[in-house]
Formats: sequence, C-alpha cells, structure tokens
Amino acid sequence: MTRPTLELPPVGETVLTVDSVSKSYGNVHAAREVNLKIPRGSIYGFLGPNGAGKTTTIRIIMKIILADSGSITLAGRPLDGDMRDRIGYLPEERGLYRKMKCLDQLSYLAELKGVPRGEARKRADAWLTRMGLEEWRDRKVDSLSKGMQQKIQFAATFISEPDLVILDEVFSGLDPLNIELLRDMILQEKEKGTTIIFSTHMLAEAEKICDAICLIEGGEIILDGPLEKIRADFPLESVRVAWEGNPEPPADLPGVLHREKSEGSWRLTLAEGVNPRELLPNLMAFGPLTLFSANRPSLSEIFLEAVSRHRKGVQS
Amino acid sequence: MRKILTVIRKEYLERVRSKSFVIGTLLGPALMSMFILVPVLLVDKGGDDARTVGVIDPTGLYFDSLAEVLVDQGRGQVELELIEAGSVEESLTLMKESILDESVHSGILIAADFLDSGKATFYNKSVSAGIMRDDVLRPALNRVLREERFAAAQVPDTLFAYLAARTIWTNIGLTAEGGEEEQHEDVGFIMAFVLIMIIYIMVIMYGSHTLTAVIEEKSSRMVEVLLASISPGDLMLGKVMGIGMAGLTQFAIWTAAFFAISQRGISVGELNFDTAFMTPVILINFIAFFLLGFFLYATLYAGIGAMCNTVQDSQQFHTPLVMGLVLPMMMLSLVLKAPDSTLVVVLSLVPLFSPVIMFMRVCVETPPVWQIGLSWLLMAGSIWLAARMAGKLFRMGILMYGASPTWATLIRVLRD
Repeated sequence: MTRPTLELPPVGETVLTVDSVSKSYGNVHAAREVNLKIPRGSIYGFLGPNGAGKTTTIRIIMKIILADSGSITLAGRPLDGDMRDRIGYLPEERGLYRKMKCLDQLSYLAELKGVPRGEARKRADAWLTRMGLEEWRDRKVDSLSKGMQQKIQFAATFISEPDLVILDEVFSGLDPLNIELLRDMILQEKEKGTTIIFSTHMLAEAEKICDAICLIEGGEIILDGPLEKIRADFPLESVRVAWEGNPEPPADLPGVLHREKSEGSWRLTLAEGVNPRELLPNLMAFGPLTLFSANRPSLSEIFLEAVSRHRKGVQS
Repeated sequence: MRKILTVIRKEYLERVRSKSFVIGTLLGPALMSMFILVPVLLVDKGGDDARTVGVIDPTGLYFDSLAEVLVDQGRGQVELELIEAGSVEESLTLMKESILDESVHSGILIAADFLDSGKATFYNKSVSAGIMRDDVLRPALNRVLREERFAAAQVPDTLFAYLAARTIWTNIGLTAEGGEEEQHEDVGFIMAFVLIMIIYIMVIMYGSHTLTAVIEEKSSRMVEVLLASISPGDLMLGKVMGIGMAGLTQFAIWTAAFFAISQRGISVGELNFDTAFMTPVILINFIAFFLLGFFLYATLYAGIGAMCNTVQDSQQFHTPLVMGLVLPMMMLSLVLKAPDSTLVVVLSLVPLFSPVIMFMRVCVETPPVWQIGLSWLLMAGSIWLAARMAGKLFRMGILMYGASPTWATLIRVLRD
C-alpha cells in the first residue's frame, strides 16, 4: 500500500467537491442535497447551530457514515479507501489511548494514515518538539494535562501531512493561550497550501479565521461563499452615532425604524432601502456628531437573518 | 493490508509487554495443573475418609465374612462395628442412636433368615449415604450371600472358584498405521479433558480481552479518529488477530513447557502422562479448534463490544455467549457414552459447540474426516459472518454514545 499521490489544483481552485449529498434516518433529514466547492488553501467554516448537520456532513465526507446519494471528490478523484489518507480529521468526539506513550501514540496514528513506520516516528518526534512536549515523549498520555492532550490530538491530525484537514469544534474547552497557539498553527498550515474545514458553532471564532463559510441549518446549506461576498449580500441595516453631550435623539428621525443606546452611543436601525448618507444631514442638524459609523453586520447578525429568512421561505 | 498489520502489531505488543501477560503465563500452568490434578488425586483417594458402619447380625454368621470381603474389594477404609445389645430390637435402638449422634455413619440390619431371604435393611440419616450402600455395602453383601449359599449347597471349593470367575480384559487400540498398542483409558480421558479445558479457558479469556479492547476504543473516544483512517472491518480484524496472536504466544509457551516436562514423564498416582496421547491427528485438531474457536468467539465478543459503551453494558449479551461454551462442557459425558450418535454428531457440527464437542469426539474416537472438515468449514463461515456483523455494529455503534444498547437495537442494526 502506498499513499496515493494527488495532482492538486492551484491554490484558490476547487479541491473538494461535495455534489448533492443526502442522508436521512427515517423521516429525519440529516443532510439534504448538500453541494459544496471548497477552494484549495482556504479555511472554510462550517457554521450552524448545534444539531444542524455539520458533524453528519463531515462524517459523510470521511466515509464514516455512508450517504444515501450524491458524490464527493478530492482533487477530482472519488473519495474512497486510501484517498482518506490524504485527509486529516479531528472529530468533536476525540480521545487518546490513555495507557500509550505520547510518541507511540502519534506514530501509530500516522502509520494508520499510511506513513511508513520509521518516518512516522521521526515526524512524531518533530511534532512533540514543535508543541513543546519533547520531555513527555516517553510518558503515558494519562500523565498529561488536558491542554497537553489536546495538543497531541492536534498534532495527530496534521502528522500525516494531509492535503485537507477537517477540524470539528477544535477550540472548545481550550484556554485562550492555547487557542492562540493552535490558531497560529492552523494559519501556518494554510500557508503551505493545506485546505482546512473549520466546523464550529462559535461564530466569533469563525469570523476571525475563515476565508469562506457555509451555513448549515436543518441539514441544508442555506448560505455559502467567501466571507466578503456574504457580507456584501447582507447590506448595512444600522449605523452607530454619538453626539457631543450625549443627547437623546428624537424618536421620529426619518428613515430610522428603531433606536437603541449601548456603550455611550446610539444604534439606529434603518428602514429598508435607506442609504446611511441620506440620514446624515438630519443627524448633523440635531447636534455636533462625535461618531458616525456604518455598522458592518456581524456574522451572528447575518446568521440570525439568514436562518429566519430560510425558515420563512420553508414555511411559505 | 499494512494498516491491519499496524493494528495487529499494536494490539500484540501492548498485550505481550503487559505485566498481567507475564504473570498469567507463569501462573497459568500452576492453576491449570490444580484444575486437573486436584480432581485426579481426589478420585484416586476414593474420596472418602474412614467411615464406620454399624452392623446388627442376629445370627452372628456374616459379620466376619463381610469385613473380609470389604478388605478384599479394596474398601478397607470402611470399618464395620458389630452392634449387640441384648435383643435385636435393643440393638436396633442403640444403632439408631449411634447414627443420630454420628458415632457411626450408617447401619445395616442383616435379617435373621438372610441365607434364605437375602434381606438386609440400611439405616442412614443423609441422602448421600445411598452412595455408600450402592457402591460399597451392596456388592460386598452380595458376595457374602453368594459364598454362603454355595457353602450351604456344599459346592466344592474348586467348583466354586470356577463358577465365581470373572472375565479378564485387555484393551487394544488400533492405530492408523496398522499398529497396536495397549490403551490407558484413564490417561486418554484426562488428557482430552486437559486439552479441552485449555481451549475453553483460552477462548473465554482472550475472547473477553477483545470485548474490552473494543470497548476501550469507544470509552477513550478513539473510534471516530480511527474510522477516519481504517475501515471498521479491518480494524476489527486487526484487533482480533493481534489479541489472538498474544494468546497463541502464551499457548505456545505453555505447550513447550508441558512437552519438556512430559518428556521426563509425569506420574500422578497410578496414572502416567506421556506424549504418546498427542497423536498428530489430535495435535492438528487441537490447534485448529483452538484457533477457530478463538476467532469465532473473539469476533462475536468484538461485535458485542462495538455495541456497548461500558463493560457493564455488555453483561446482558455476554452470558448467552459463555453458555455456548458451558453447555457443551455439560454435555461431555453424553459425548463419551455415544460419540457417534446422531444427536452428538449434530451438536458437534454447531459452530459454537464444535471447539468442545467435535474436539472431544476426535479425542475419544476417530470421527469421519468429512465431519471434521465440515465443522471447520462451518466455523470459518461463521467467523466471516461474525466479522462482517462486528464491523457493521462498530460503524453504527459510534452513533450510539450514551444510550445503553438493548437486544432490540442490536437486531434493528443488524437488519438495516
């Protein structure tokens, strides 16, 4: 058995294609006609509430669950058998063999991805050093702290030098210091041309790290594409304003639906089709402005909006 | 294929390097010989301490002969105590008291007209005394009666000896090579029992290792990481083979030790153990039934493990499997009595029973080659089926974290 060599497309071109994949358990649709094109070298966020079908979709990609219909290709080749060796997967349900030594553990998992034994041990050593765990190489996993164990799991995912890495809720339960460390490592791997699928329900995390996202809800993809394009599709709906002396703005400003005070400034929700610029003269008339900013919609606002639009669509 | 080898290597080394393996390898033979030798030694001793039996002999004619016959029949450890207290009724009262206060074990009242009627009454206070009556006292008293009647009929001693003759047997076993050899059935049976016990213990022990090893993958939350690299079927196969090889290693060490010792000859009481019993046919079948039995039970155990999150969960499924091995152990005497009866032949072909019953048949007779072959084939087929089931259960099992499995879910998963 040799690891399959792949003709990878250039960075930015589609490397993983998920084509109308469906899976249902009885009447429950865990995945419904899922279509995805993930560009090489990107960090692609799988977002959605708990139970939306993120993990199911990932398990289907990993062939842990077999889809009812649809197909998946990596660099144009169907994803089966040894092709999975090109993918690193860190599931949400992850553990380690507690009685196994760190080095043995890493090299065993690398070997299972088809890395030859000698090479696997060399790489395991290198990863332990990179993670600052070289002193622990011959200790059992049992004796490691939880944070250290998570680093080992992270190393195990990347040790086979995969072309695609899937990380499911990778930061959950980590302290901020380790989140920072792992985020840097993810970015380093991305620089090497590795494609990363980053599944999370924590939108703030995704916003910081992802180039593109898809939003999964009820087993369906209701939104996908580069983060910037998605933001453009969800136009500004509010502005943030503050006046000298902090006066309260009148309730009947034209073009404003709603006002809300927060952190010393006012958030004004705009009526549909109103350009913030049209509002400016009226605001300046009220007093000298100290703050006027177009409020970029946050991912969570987009998220809530998209979900509610989708649910309305489903109902009608 | 290389991934299976990787799994085998890990499972094998993990076991062979463990302390419990080393200890088990050293202590195993000690435990095993206790299993075997203790019953042998007990049987050898006759199993009873010196016991006293009270005898009321109104005529006074039979007591001495009975005592002599007992010694002659090798039952000298049973002592007789003549009970005389005036009348027969008074003697009887005394004997009953002695039985109740346990100064004698039991008692016989020989009828006054014993020579004509042949009547005797047995007094006891425990049901188990019946064994003493049937195995010891009845044969002895029968002989006393016979001798007394011959004497009463004035049969000459020479004629008496002639009439009382018993047949004398020599047992010749024919070997396939056309040779003949004197058989020692006791040794043969005990050796067969030893080998079956080895199969039984190893299959249960290493089979349940597989169960815990599979549950470990789930309790350590490794399943999903592993299934992203290796198919569940390959993983199951690797685990079962790795553990099986660890078992085989232990087994080889024991067998080598046993042979080394038996070269010098082991004697227990009157029984001599030697390697002559281990004919090539028995050796080949021993290894075959050990391996097939192990793989069959180990894959079934693996399937159960795949369903369960904790060892406790697995208990309900565990018992029926163990019954598959215990039942045939209970049927061994049936096999000994009629190894080629239709019932035994059918039972010996049931894959779960074959390692014990078919192997016992191989030890006590030579069953037709096609029957042995068929049982191998049926077991191999069952292993294949069980491995597929275990793989399927393992794949489904990862979705069942938390909920403890029931028979209903087991059946539903298999039917899907």
